[in-house]
Amino acid sequence: MKRRVVITACSAITPIGYRRSDIIESLQQGRSGVKPLRDDGLLTQYIHSRVFGTVDYPIDYGFTRKDTKTMGPVAFYACQVAKDVLAASGLEQKFITSGRLGVSFSSTHGSPTVQRNIYKTFFSNLQSEFSSIGAVDYLKSMVHTTAVNIARMFGITGRIIASSTACTTSSQSIGFGYETIKYGMQDAMICGGADEYDTTTVAVFDNLLACSVDYNDRPQCTPRPFDAKRDGLVVGEGAGAVLLEEYESAKARGAEILGEVIGFACNNNGGDLILPNLDGITATLRLALADAGIRARDVDFVSAHATATKMGDVIEAQAIDAVYGGRPLVTGLKSYMGHTMGSCGAIEMILTLYMMEEGFVAPTLNLETVDERCSMLNHVREITNTETRIAAIQNFAFGGVNTCLLIAKNR
Amino acid sequence: MNRDELQEQIVAILVDDFEFENPGLADNLRDDHGFDSIDAIELLAKIEKMLGFQLAREEKEKAMSIRTINDILDYIEGIQAAHSS
Repeated sequence: MKRRVVITACSAITPIGYRRSDIIESLQQGRSGVKPLRDDGLLTQYIHSRVFGTVDYPIDYGFTRKDTKTMGPVAFYACQVAKDVLAASGLEQKFITSGRLGVSFSSTHGSPTVQRNIYKTFFSNLQSEFSSIGAVDYLKSMVHTTAVNIARMFGITGRIIASSTACTTSSQSIGFGYETIKYGMQDAMICGGADEYDTTTVAVFDNLLACSVDYNDRPQCTPRPFDAKRDGLVVGEGAGAVLLEEYESAKARGAEILGEVIGFACNNNGGDLILPNLDGITATLRLALADAGIRARDVDFVSAHATATKMGDVIEAQAIDAVYGGRPLVTGLKSYMGHTMGSCGAIEMILTLYMMEEGFVAPTLNLETVDERCSMLNHVREITNTETRIAAIQNFAFGGVNTCLLIAKNR
Repeated sequence: MNRDELQEQIVAILVDDFEFENPGLADNLRDDHGFDSIDAIELLAKIEKMLGFQLAREEKEKAMSIRTINDILDYIEGIQAAHSS
């Protein structure tokens, strides 16, 4: 059994906005969400990179203690976007709790804020008579905390998938959710990912010399995907959720169809856990095309992973060139908000959907001089009004994990 | 600490930290206020701090039969009596 899978709702909390109109405005006006790195009172002073893709606007969650007692900051983000997609979907409560709706959602770490508090207790409070590790700290910090808090909040009883694979976390979430519906295991899935403000991740990439450091005094000028003067990635925070549904049932209930997931592929480089791998990435892009049953020339737009690392962008450009040539428009959306880690695949897919609906493609921000090793691509350098019928969203992660999602405009 | 003082402190904890609305002494904690096993563990930690000593595992396990605020007060009085004897 192979069924069509459509997107019927989406929501994203991003460094460039939360409401759809704010995000579109940011894309159209070239507004960056990269800000100075907030002081965490622990690691910040040792980190060379002082920039962060920051969510700095208030969010009215409206959750009660019953909801929040098992939630760290990352679950607040996750439950908020899940709440948004359920509200927008119009799905009946009876279906939500029927077992035919599942959750495919995760984050990179669980909640690092909560984990940090646990370690603080270990290292600073050993002599205390009373433990200050809360009974629910594990529930807040475990790696599937986002998925199960979403399930708990809405009484969802279907499948739980919590793939935690760093930068491919939410693209896997969407891909696995798509396959779960396509092959008939569930009729609908809330899919996505989230990651909260966390300096641990910045420190990790900083130690690997992968973080941007040259633009600490001009945060909005970095990251610079494909640019000759790029100097590394910028870590960010955010969340994205999409509701995927089986096409016939979505159509029958009169759901608004925003787009269709037509293909997904995921593979591993089978070797080095850090270095990008041309063969592995190229294979992923081709596998996705095969899954969708389309040709490379059918793809109009590529949302590149494009973290702005020195080698990552070059290898990705070579892979895009090998599979697609110079035809599709290519944008690195991380240029607007940094690398939102576990949420980047979902956020980049939602931004792509918004642009497909609005009939434009945003340029890669800060792309002033294209690195000659990336110059064979059809880079978007300015707002381009165009119809995108099929788009590819590609993401790659530490561990050698590669993903590619193919989505089509509502047909 | 006498029972009235205990009651005042416990009700304050339930209102301030557990967001109870108008708690009654005989209310069913779970049915009327959504108090679950996670809350019970959190409340025990607060009771330990209030009493100033750690509870033994067997004492904590006894708390799992608590259903009402009156039960909480009975439980704490029992613990106090056991530790003062």
